[in-house]
Amino acid sequence: MSARAAAIGRTDTVAMRRRPLPVRKAGSYLLLAVVSVLVAFPLLLALSYSFMTESDIATFPPPVLPPHPSLDNYGKVFGTIPIGRYLLNSFVVSSAVVIGQLVTASLAAYAFSFLVFRGRQVLFFLFLSTLMIPWEATIIPNYMTIRSLGWLDTYQGLAVPFLATAFGTFLLRQSFMQIPRELWDAARIDGSTTFRFLREVVIPLSRPALGTVAIYGFLSTYNQYFWPLLITNETLMRTTQVGIAQLRFEESTRWGLVMAGVIMVAVPTLALLVLGQRQLIRGLTAGAVKG
Amino acid sequence: MRKLAAFAIALSMVAAACGGGSPGGGGAASPTGDQSALAPGKDVKPAAKITWWHAMGGVNGEALNKIVNQFNASQSAIKVETVFQGTYDDLLSKLNTALASNAAPALVQVYDIGQAYMRDSGQVVPMQAFIDRDKFSTADFEPAVINYYKYQDKLQSMPWNASSSIFYYNKDAFKEVGLDPEKPPVTFTEITDAAKKLTKKDASGQTVRFGFGPSIYGWFFEQLMATSGALYADNGNGRDDRATKVVYNSAAGKAILDWWKAGIDGGYFYNPGIDNAGATTAFQAGKTAMYLESSAALRGNITTVAGKFQIGTGLFARPDSKPANGGNIIGGASLYIMKSRPVEEQQAAWEFVKYAMTPAIQAQWQSDTGYYAIVKSAYNEAPAKEWATKYPQFQTPVDQIRNSPQNRMTNGAVLGVFAQARARTQKMIESVLLGQATTQQALDAAAAEVNDAIDKYNKANK
Repeated sequence: MSARAAAIGRTDTVAMRRRPLPVRKAGSYLLLAVVSVLVAFPLLLALSYSFMTESDIATFPPPVLPPHPSLDNYGKVFGTIPIGRYLLNSFVVSSAVVIGQLVTASLAAYAFSFLVFRGRQVLFFLFLSTLMIPWEATIIPNYMTIRSLGWLDTYQGLAVPFLATAFGTFLLRQSFMQIPRELWDAARIDGSTTFRFLREVVIPLSRPALGTVAIYGFLSTYNQYFWPLLITNETLMRTTQVGIAQLRFEESTRWGLVMAGVIMVAVPTLALLVLGQRQLIRGLTAGAVKG
Repeated sequence: MRKLAAFAIALSMVAAACGGGSPGGGGAASPTGDQSALAPGKDVKPAAKITWWHAMGGVNGEALNKIVNQFNASQSAIKVETVFQGTYDDLLSKLNTALASNAAPALVQVYDIGQAYMRDSGQVVPMQAFIDRDKFSTADFEPAVINYYKYQDKLQSMPWNASSSIFYYNKDAFKEVGLDPEKPPVTFTEITDAAKKLTKKDASGQTVRFGFGPSIYGWFFEQLMATSGALYADNGNGRDDRATKVVYNSAAGKAILDWWKAGIDGGYFYNPGIDNAGATTAFQAGKTAMYLESSAALRGNITTVAGKFQIGTGLFARPDSKPANGGNIIGGASLYIMKSRPVEEQQAAWEFVKYAMTPAIQAQWQSDTGYYAIVKSAYNEAPAKEWATKYPQFQTPVDQIRNSPQNRMTNGAVLGVFAQARARTQKMIESVLLGQATTQQALDAAAAEVNDAIDKYNKANK
């Protein structure tokens, strides 16, 4: 920590000699602050709306901060849907998908980048071409498969169709190809097995890419709507996005209630992202030092 | 999202067709004959458990579950379970996927415009079969509602939640500008004149209140065609025979768009876009003084603006000539009994439907949701009477539907591709309001595209 602070201090003094930095720095921070408020605005507004009554929301010009903050909407969300159970379901399914994708994608990417076998290139392009198949085209066959397995209303039904990812494999392959071939040769000469090289060299060096795949997989599963709606009928097996739909009415929308639901669903993912981000950066530096 | 849903529906149609389902039974029975033969025999014992898929979220969903709980408690033979399946579109997509693999429930709620699609799917036991078998009387039903769901005099489904689109206005704003708050404008010219008076600008010339601000909603265009006494589609709005094309690119259609466009250009109509919730919020916030919306939004509107201003309701807009054959189409959804379930389940579903149509339940449903009771005697029940005292404005949609002449125009169009047609119509209106096309160009372009879709649909569903 102190070494890092010293390092920052040193760069500062070096830079200060060249030009009047504080103004420049303040300027760029101001710009960053403005941009981040802009980017976060919809989320902040959702947060603010979730504390407002319907009558407060429906005023013109629309208020930005709640004039009479209340937790009513949150109470109503709990009264309308089993939100805790939905969050749990979404977490279980999303975590299962992340683990599955990391395992399958890293193994496949490893094969496509380090192992030499006949038809590797063809197989890889075949693999990639599955990216072009729209999700809509596979949903009905997937549904029929899951149904015939008797997996409707189950966690495996929600997770299994998403355990392999062509996109993740592609991303990891690109990342694995950055690893110098010499490392592979050296490891082989030292008697490392194929699997050991993956475990002890490739995986640690590719943490940022693995993190990206994990976060992407988590969020896209967490945000699924149609698939969970399709294969679940049991209230207790449904996921968060279906829950939010349940807060809407066919003829009129109570924004405060919907926003309270949205916030409750979004906060856990945001927390996860923040934690994940730290991991990502650490992964980046670790790779840099070792590489 | 809608696009996705529509796509999923199209796909699952293909899947259903490949699945080798045998359509034909459903709507194919002779149009005049008794249909009781299509229903299970009277002595079939109802199943102990059936599932009902619905699309009612929030308080409407609670009201629906309340009825089901009452039914389950009222007898011990049948237990109904409800499953919420998202929006109407989501539900239909899910139903199609489920049908392809025989996982559909016994009872489903499908929106108004899904009528032709459900009939053509051949997966439905016509409600008429049960009605004929049990000599169930529909004499007490609101004619406008029952006629909407009839095809060649046969009911495919049982109407369930019914609403109609009405005119909402801000009484306080009317008083402020010297308009009579008890006399809402009805015709196009009256609305335009009132809108001019109600439009208010601040010192810098910014409009702080627009006179009139309906959402660009295909349903309203359909309603306006009906109040103009004009057809939306050929073959008697698709009711004498299957529609082969839309005919809204007529003089009546042009008059509607010309009026709407002139109001926008004049600066006294507000354009919230293709956004019903946005139009409602603008009205509740006082940004617009008049707008169009479903009668089902009445209670929400009244509670939200309580203490801010008084809401008035009036008849839906119509041309200056007030055509005698013009009137309003109902909206909402109805209940279908699915053929793919065992006869015992069909029987149980029918038992529940009968229960749901009793006056007491209808009155309770009305006061819990804001949809109106479709059985006339329900209005004599206590909850309906209380409701009428509490929300006198509610009389408007009821009167409006009762006073509409019953004909092909006011019964509304029946199209297999209605969801698509409606979406395309919305784009059409938007392009006119934004000045991207003249009214006639926009009407013709939209009609051509919808006709193409109808053509494909008709070829696939011979």
